[in-house]
Amino acid sequence: MKVLVKCFSQVKYAIGSNELTVTLKPGSNSADLETMVREQSAGALDDVTLRTAVNKHYVIEPVLLEDGDEVAFIPPVQGG
Amino acid sequence: MIVTEIVPSQIVPFPADDSRRNDGSEIVFNGRVRSTEQGEPILALEYEHYEGMAETELNRLAEKTVSKFSIHDLFCRHRVGQIGVGEISLHVVIWSKHRKEGLDAMTWFIAELKKHIPIWKWALLTSGERVPSECVHSEH
Repeated sequence: MKVLVKCFSQVKYAIGSNELTVTLKPGSNSADLETMVREQSAGALDDVTLRTAVNKHYVIEPVLLEDGDEVAFIPPVQGG
Repeated sequence: MIVTEIVPSQIVPFPADDSRRNDGSEIVFNGRVRSTEQGEPILALEYEHYEGMAETELNRLAEKTVSKFSIHDLFCRHRVGQIGVGEISLHVVIWSKHRKEGLDAMTWFIAELKKHIPIWKWALLTSGERVPSECVHSEH
C-alpha cells in the first residue's frame, strides 16, 4: 500500500521535500512510518519531538494505516 | 459567534462594532513580527501551515475557547506566507460582558494556538538564507 507523507518545517528541512510517497507493508502503522521517516532524515530529527496526524487529525496512539492515507509528522508548532 | 480565517495576505482588522449592547469588553490582540531571530537580524518570517488541518484545528480551538470561558464572540485571523518585520501575523478580537473573562480567554486561546495549530515559521535571514525558525513559544 502507498501513503502520502506531508513534510513541514524541520521535517521538510531534514528530508528535503514537501512530501513523500511511501510504500508500506499491509498492517503497518503510523509508528512504523515515523521510524522510516526518522531514518531517512539521517539523524537530523533525532532531537525533534514529532506528533502524528493521519488524514489531518492528530492521533495519540499509533494507528493502522490504509492505502491512500495522508500522514504528517508534526514538529513543534510556532503559530502566532 | 466564531470567525476564524487563515489568510495569505496583509491582515485587515475586524471592523469596530458599535451596535453591541451587552458586551462591555472588546479585547484586540495583534501579534507582530519581530526584527530578530535568536538575536540575529531577519528580513521577514515566512509562515507555513498545514492546509486543511490548520483551518480545522483553529476553528475547533475557537469553539473550545467560547465553551470554556464566559465570552460571546471570538474572531481570529492568522496570516501565512511571507510577513515583513513589524507586520501583523495574528489578529484576535474577543467580546465579553466583562474584561476578566475576555482577558483570560485571550491568554488561553493564544497559548493553545501556539501549542496545537499546525503553523510554522521560517526565518529569512539577511544573508538570503531561509531556515526553520527556532522560536518555539509557550507562554510568551
